[in-house]
Amino acid sequence: MRELQAQNQRSRLKLEAKAAKAKLALCEFIQLRRVAFFSNYALALFIILTLNFALPRLMPGDPFQAIYGEEALLVITPELEAEIIQRFSLDKSMTEQFAAYILALLRGDLGYSYYYSEGVLDVILDFIPWTLLLTGSALIISTLIGLFLGITSGYRRGKTLDKSLLALLMFLNGFPDFFVGILLLIVFGVTLGIVPLSGAITPYSGFGGIDLVKDVLHHLITPMTSLVLVWISTTYILARNTMVTVLGEGFIVTARAKGCREREIEYRHAGRSSLLPVVTSTGLHIPHLITGALFIEIVFSYPGVGLLLYNSLLTRDYPMIQGILLMVTVSVLAVNLMVDLLYQKLDPRVSNAR
Amino acid sequence: MHVNVWGEVVGNNVGKFGLFLIGLMVTLAVFAPLLTPYGPFEKTDSKAFAPPSAEHLLGTNDARQDIWTRLIYGARTSLAVGFGVSLLSTFVSVLIGGTSAIFGGFYDRFWMRFVDALLAIPSLVVIILVATYLRPNLLLMIVLLSALTWPGGARVIRAQTLSIKERMHVSAAQTFGAGWSHILFRHIMPDLGPILVAMMIQDARRAVFMEAGLSFLGVSDPSMISWGKMMQFARVFTYMEIWKWWLVPTGLALSLTLIGLSFTGFAIEAALDPRLRRNRGGHGARHDIGHVDGHGGD
Repeated sequence: MRELQAQNQRSRLKLEAKAAKAKLALCEFIQLRRVAFFSNYALALFIILTLNFALPRLMPGDPFQAIYGEEALLVITPELEAEIIQRFSLDKSMTEQFAAYILALLRGDLGYSYYYSEGVLDVILDFIPWTLLLTGSALIISTLIGLFLGITSGYRRGKTLDKSLLALLMFLNGFPDFFVGILLLIVFGVTLGIVPLSGAITPYSGFGGIDLVKDVLHHLITPMTSLVLVWISTTYILARNTMVTVLGEGFIVTARAKGCREREIEYRHAGRSSLLPVVTSTGLHIPHLITGALFIEIVFSYPGVGLLLYNSLLTRDYPMIQGILLMVTVSVLAVNLMVDLLYQKLDPRVSNAR
Repeated sequence: MHVNVWGEVVGNNVGKFGLFLIGLMVTLAVFAPLLTPYGPFEKTDSKAFAPPSAEHLLGTNDARQDIWTRLIYGARTSLAVGFGVSLLSTFVSVLIGGTSAIFGGFYDRFWMRFVDALLAIPSLVVIILVATYLRPNLLLMIVLLSALTWPGGARVIRAQTLSIKERMHVSAAQTFGAGWSHILFRHIMPDLGPILVAMMIQDARRAVFMEAGLSFLGVSDPSMISWGKMMQFARVFTYMEIWKWWLVPTGLALSLTLIGLSFTGFAIEAALDPRLRRNRGGHGARHDIGHVDGHGGD
């Protein structure tokens, strides 16, 4: 009898040891995953850096010309040229050039724009706030309206209101944003003349306080509306689909049986559950905030990063274009990384997935 | 999956409408020379900025070219880019995703790491940068757009292949000593059918949008006729009445092409997704469709 117990104990100990070992292996595995996970971002960054470095140097002709553009050559003095060649190690081997390039980036030196006569980084930082204002407000408003319409539509599935909303928004989704922007600009700006045609503030107006806010909003309204119109369907369809799935659930029946009012069931019970996927999907769009308004900014000459990029394309301001690419990539990668990390914290299943 | 996907797509109103729009654009593109007496680059005898008339359905532009002619020839560019990118990028997706699933091991890990890295990159800006330097013509544009479109598809194909390769007929082929290419293209590809088509349509939609966008920015080959470029030129003359028959029809043509592709895509996805099939009321918009489009094509 005693022997049997001892044997039992031994086997249990063995099992525990095995479990501990497995747990350790799992930890190691997760650690490994985490390394692999960061390596994604490192690899993405490396690809972009290489692209940025190699493209101008692989172009036929003088890399000097490709890096700075033909126009810049007109204003360059021999001393400046010597300085630039030295700075980029253009007379050295490719490996040394790459090292010099990376070192410059690490110092925060993205290059010098001859068009703006300013460091590339400084110019970009001037333009970013306007982009974020435009895309941020558009994202929030389109999410709110989309959520509301999605709940309304999903709750009345199959009715006329639902069908027409679905058709309308799916149609709108097909329109490219720059076309919507141009149409709004022509109708409200050119024909009706009730909104400004370009820019983000009235130049030299000297507005302050409330007047300044009003002026900014007045300039913001049309580009923002264009973005909202195109973006709305994402949230709408998501919210509507969730509503449709949720309406068959038991707790809705319970709410009905309890005698809850329709409005209460629609928003408190059913609508609430479409909130989570909508918030998730909106969160996933945060990385797009910088590039999302690219075409709209060009159409409305709104002084954001998109317009800056477009102007740099027109003026062949190559250092600026590369700088923008790098800034955008780095911020998108950074946001993606943060979102991923946040997800792992929120949902442990994610870190083990794949 | 024993569902007659094609029957469902054609039977569905959304799918029918989408296919109709695609068919319309293809007809315009293919029969372009029969539908107009002018050449796309021809300077007509009429004066510049002529309003619509029997001779010029949509008037003439600033260079005395017939706008209708340029519109239908523009459909060729858009559709060629859409078609080319969807073929090329799907092919690469199948090749990389499929072989990754078949071989597994280091090869699989290597490619999936690479795919994840590419997916993390904001493709729109990268394409703009590369296009700025290369000024892509039609062929290069297709290659360029495909280079940043295939990773998403590769992930989908890999996941599907992982399950398909466990099926009996694949194992049977393996025991007969079939090579990977035979297994991939003869045994796995046919089972992927509808998913491949859904993917191709999505890719085509993105490609058409991106091509128009890049031309709108002016970073494509200047000799290409493109809706994006037409809109960019027309935009300058908004103070005149000409936008009504220059800018609007062009924008509508582009929008209708995009709508046709996305509606067909919706219909296919609805037919593929069993959850949405039961809900006949919602003509199937899958939860993730919204991410595919719109937002700057990113």
